[in-house]
Amino acid sequence: MAVIRTRDLPFRLALTLPLAGLSGYFLLLFGSQYLFFSAAAFLRQLALPEIQAAIILSLTSATCSALLAVVIAVPCAYLLARHEFQGKRLLDTFLDLPVVLTPIALGTLILMAWNNPAGRLLESVGISLPFTVAGVIAAQFTVVSAIALRLLKATFEQVDPRCEQVARTLGCTAAGSFRLVTLPLAGRGIMAAFILTWARAVGEFGATVMVAGTVRGDTATLPSSIYMAMSVADLPRAVTLISLLLLISLAVLFAVRLALGRRS
Amino acid sequence: MIRIRGLTAHRGKFLLGPVDLDLDDGGYLIVLGPSGAGKTVLLEVCLGLESPSGGEVAMNGVDMTDLPPERRRIAYLPQDLALFPHLSVRDNILFGARLQRQDPDAIRDRLRELVALLDLDGILDRPSIRTLSGGEKQRVALARALLPSPRVLFLDEPFSALDATIKRQLQIKLRQINREMGVTILHVTHDQEEAFLLGERIAVMIAGKLHQIGHRDDIYYRPASIAVARFLQNQNIFEMQVEDGGDNGTLHLAGPISLTTGSRSGIRVGDRVAAVIRSEEVVIIRPNRPIGNELRQNLFDGRIVDILGLGGNHILTVEISDGVRLNAELPNCAFRDLGYAVGDPIRIALRSRSLWILPWPREMP
Repeated sequence: MAVIRTRDLPFRLALTLPLAGLSGYFLLLFGSQYLFFSAAAFLRQLALPEIQAAIILSLTSATCSALLAVVIAVPCAYLLARHEFQGKRLLDTFLDLPVVLTPIALGTLILMAWNNPAGRLLESVGISLPFTVAGVIAAQFTVVSAIALRLLKATFEQVDPRCEQVARTLGCTAAGSFRLVTLPLAGRGIMAAFILTWARAVGEFGATVMVAGTVRGDTATLPSSIYMAMSVADLPRAVTLISLLLLISLAVLFAVRLALGRRS
Repeated sequence: MIRIRGLTAHRGKFLLGPVDLDLDDGGYLIVLGPSGAGKTVLLEVCLGLESPSGGEVAMNGVDMTDLPPERRRIAYLPQDLALFPHLSVRDNILFGARLQRQDPDAIRDRLRELVALLDLDGILDRPSIRTLSGGEKQRVALARALLPSPRVLFLDEPFSALDATIKRQLQIKLRQINREMGVTILHVTHDQEEAFLLGERIAVMIAGKLHQIGHRDDIYYRPASIAVARFLQNQNIFEMQVEDGGDNGTLHLAGPISLTTGSRSGIRVGDRVAAVIRSEEVVIIRPNRPIGNELRQNLFDGRIVDILGLGGNHILTVEISDGVRLNAELPNCAFRDLGYAVGDPIRIALRSRSLWILPWPREMP
């Protein structure tokens, strides 16, 4: 066992006490709902079609938006990580904006953009966002794509460009070295980026509500259903939904830890 | 085989070149220079990994300046090796040959040949490269580069991270690869010992410019400029002035000391010159021994002010007149015989044929 010198004790306490305090606070937070929790109510709520619809919509829309975000962010992030060009820093900052902007503002901007000619054109071919599932996915995508970009850029920056160069000298085209060297080396990072993006999309509320509203059994997701439940003081329903969200988040974060842990 | 003409490249404020260089078929060319001289940039531009700002690179008469790296077929061993961490040792080695869709039988034969040459037997079936030692990684990277039977191999400081014994073993392997497999090699390094061991021809690069290209003895004994002489270890450099041309085609030089040397073309009376002599060319005259004619000209009595032991050799710093010091290098056996210590008097001679005279550049203080 490590010997703790008395001289180091104040510093050790300065590190330990905040950690203990924060963990205790979170435990209190997550545990407090169990005063209102009953297994019977939980199961009864789970059996309701609108709750099931909210669960299914949350999982499917988050999967769609996270997939879309990662698929689009991979080439963007690779380009930003590997190439220098004029105005790159400005573009990089610009692409960070959705991370900083509150989701409610982003949702509002989506609705406004839908009113311009491009939006009306999409509307005319049958793609509608307001109060639709497509709107849920669009709102989630808008919020999480910039996060996916950040995570993936960091991932590609960790892949040694020298490996790609050697692959080129061994006969790979630029696309070939990306496929055979970069993607496999970035694989775990891409997986982790997808999971974190997905987790953020599952919890998305502000932009989703602004664009798609919260129509029971239709566009209501888990987070918007929690809001609706609390607005009518339906505690059993709120507790069920929060517990579900907690369980999903726990599983996801644990999966990320496992994925990244295996890397080292 | 490879012809480089007027090649220039920019990296931020750094400018490489213009570089003119020829790499003959089957040759072993060393580009020697200090860190930051632009050696890696030169390789990257020739490999097609970086774009040049001007000039051209041709192979066998065909301009390949605009060719992508995969079509140049030049094998590359970078300083950090860049083995593929997601592949097994065998898959690393086979990467290029598989990609180029070479004949499986030929690949197998070549693999067997390389396994024997590079002692890869015990490590070929390792599932990951992470468990390999530094020397093993080096050999795997070399095998990966050589398996597709390239005609040219570029090496970038390949042994800088290895201990001396493994380094020497691999240097000898490289010579074998060049001589027995007929692979043409361009090898950049800052290691002078490695350069003189391996390079038949050496090109000295300093601050982005090639200062001298020539046979290793030319570089070693007859540096083309003071910059080259200063970069090469163990050079004594004196700033002198040509006083007069003596009899029998000799020159008398005056400066911190007086020297007599053979005449050099292009050097005239009144010129400012540098007299250069390698430390191992400084002759130590044993006390009470007759002095041959050759050694009588530039004879100096001095005092030892410092002694540096280098393992096999010793370097004596000798003060031969007020503030004028030079280094003399001698093998350990001679050093032990002479029994010198700091403060001892010593007599040295600078043979005329060991002195190399260079014009002193105008811009140099």
